[in-house]
Amino acid sequence: MSESENNTRELAFRRLLRAQFGVEGEPEAPLPDDGPLVAREHHKALAKALQAAGWRLYVTCAATHFPAVPGKKPTDATTPECFEVATVLRSVGPGTHVARWRVKLAADETIDSLVRVFVGADWQEREQFDLVGVIFAGHPDLRRLMMPEDWVGHPLRRDYAIDTPHAPWR
Amino acid sequence: MTPVALARAPWPDPYLNVDDYDPEADLMVINLGPQHPSTHGVFRVVLYLDGEIIIKAIPHPGYLHRGVEKLCEKLTYAQITPIVDKNDYVAPMLNEQAVNMAFEKMLGVEVPLRARYMRTILAEIQRVASHLLWLGTFAMDLGGALGGGTSVFMYCFRERESILNLFEDLTGCRFHYNTHTVGGQRHDIPAGWAAKVHQTLEAISQRIPEYETMLEHPIFVRRTKGVGVIDADLALELGLTGPLLRASGVDHDLRRDAPYHIYDQLKDLAVAVESEGDCMARYKVRVKELRESIRIARMLIDNVPEGPISGGRPIKQPGQFKAKGGQVYVGIETPRGELGTYLIAGGGKMGDTPYRLKIRPPSLHALACVPYVFPGHSLSDAVAILGSLDPIMGEVDR
Repeated sequence: MSESENNTRELAFRRLLRAQFGVEGEPEAPLPDDGPLVAREHHKALAKALQAAGWRLYVTCAATHFPAVPGKKPTDATTPECFEVATVLRSVGPGTHVARWRVKLAADETIDSLVRVFVGADWQEREQFDLVGVIFAGHPDLRRLMMPEDWVGHPLRRDYAIDTPHAPWR
Repeated sequence: MTPVALARAPWPDPYLNVDDYDPEADLMVINLGPQHPSTHGVFRVVLYLDGEIIIKAIPHPGYLHRGVEKLCEKLTYAQITPIVDKNDYVAPMLNEQAVNMAFEKMLGVEVPLRARYMRTILAEIQRVASHLLWLGTFAMDLGGALGGGTSVFMYCFRERESILNLFEDLTGCRFHYNTHTVGGQRHDIPAGWAAKVHQTLEAISQRIPEYETMLEHPIFVRRTKGVGVIDADLALELGLTGPLLRASGVDHDLRRDAPYHIYDQLKDLAVAVESEGDCMARYKVRVKELRESIRIARMLIDNVPEGPISGGRPIKQPGQFKAKGGQVYVGIETPRGELGTYLIAGGGKMGDTPYRLKIRPPSLHALACVPYVFPGHSLSDAVAILGSLDPIMGEVDR
C-alpha cells in the first residue's frame, strides 16, 4: 500500500513539473536520475504548488559551485562559472515521497528565497549563502550562519583552496 | 539588509523589531551561551526579556563549525566514514550509515544481508544510547532536584556506558567506531556478543519504569506540560523530523515509511506519536522509542543470517571506488530525525571524491524553531524547551 502511495505521488510530481513548470518530456515519463532542472523563475511557484499538493515537509537545499572550465583546445569556448541549487521536499506518512529539483544559476544571477513558503528555508538558505555565496532574493535576514560575520570568501566554493590562509583569530 | 517582518500568524515573528515593542516596558537583553551547560554544547542565543517573559530570541549557531563538508570533498569515498563520526557524536553509527548509504547508492554497491541486519541492530542499540543520554541531560536541565539531585543523569549514563561496552566489544572503539564501509561492515559480530546484547538491553528495559517513576512527579509535569508547544504546521514547515515531529502529532517515521536496511521486514514496527507538541509529548515519544528500539534489537540479534559482512572488495588503495557522476539524496531516521545526505559526484578524473556532499542535520532544523517557540515563555522554560529539542551541536555546525 505504501509503495502504491509512493508511485501515485511520483506520477503526480512528474505531471506537475511537465504541465506547469516547463520540464521537457511526456507527462508521466521518468525524470532524470539527477533530478529535474527547473527554470529559476519557476522555483518559488513550484515549491508553493508542491506544498499545496502535499509535499509539506521541508527537507533541505544544497547549493553547489561550478567554476569556469577552460575548453580542451585553445580554440574551444570556456564553460562559464555557474551555480546549482537543489531543493528537497517530502510528503509525510507511509509511502513518503521525496520531491527534488535543481535550478541552474549563472554567476551573477540570484534565486528566489523560499522563506515565505517554508519558514525552515530561513537557516538553510543562510547557510548556503554563507558557504557557497548564492544570493537568495527576498530573504528577510541573509546573514552568515556558520562562519564569522567578517569572514572573507565562501569556503564551499570549489575554487576556495582548503588551505586558504586567513587572518589570525581576532 | 533591513529585516522585514515575517508575519505568519499565529507564530511569533522571528524578526520582531524590539524598537516597536511597548516603550513603557523595561526590556533586558540576556546572552545565553555559548558556554552554558543548558545549551548542550556551544550554542549562543540572545534573549530579549520583558520582565521574565521572552519576547524575541536570536540564535547564533556556528561556534563548532569545522568545515566537514569541505573536508569531504578532498577525501575518497572510503576515507569519509571516520570524519562524519564526529558530526553527531551521540549517535555516530547513524552518521556512518547515512553517508555510506548515499555512497552505495551512487556507486552501485550491494550490501549483503548479514551487514544489513547488523546495521539495523547497531542503529537501534545506538538509538537507545542516544535517548538515554538525552533523558539524563533533560532531567538535569530541569533542575537537579528532579529525581533526587543528578540521580537520573547518573543512572542514564551508567546504562549508556553498558552500551558503549557492547560497541567496544564489537569495534574496539567506544565512541568513534569507523565500523561501516562502503558496501558493508568492517567488524563481524564476535562470539558471545548476542548474549551480552540481550543481557544489557534486558537490564535497561527493566530500569526504564524506574526512571519514569523518578521523573513523573508534579514538578516535572508542571515544567513540561504545555511548555514549548510546536504545532504540526510549524513543525512541517521548519523541517522538524523524528521525535519532534511525532510529538506534534504527525505520524511519520522513515524506518516505516521509506524502509532501508531490513526495516521493510519489520511489519509490526510501532511508531510513537503524541498530539500535544509540548515538552512532555517529546519526552513520552522518546521513552516509547527506547522500549521499541530495545524490542527490535533483541528480536533481530537472534536472527542474524550467516554470510559475508561486506559487499565491497577489501580496500587496497585509496580511490578504489570510482563514481560515474550524478546526484543522489538519501535520508535515514536517526534518534534526532531525518539525517540526509545530498551527494553530487563527479565523474571521470573526479570520480574518487565527492564533488559536493551536503549533510542535512536534523538538529539544525530543530534549533531553527527557537525564534518561533521561545517568545512567550519564561527564561527557565527556555532551558526546558532547548533540552527537549535534543540538539547536538556537532551536527548543527558540522
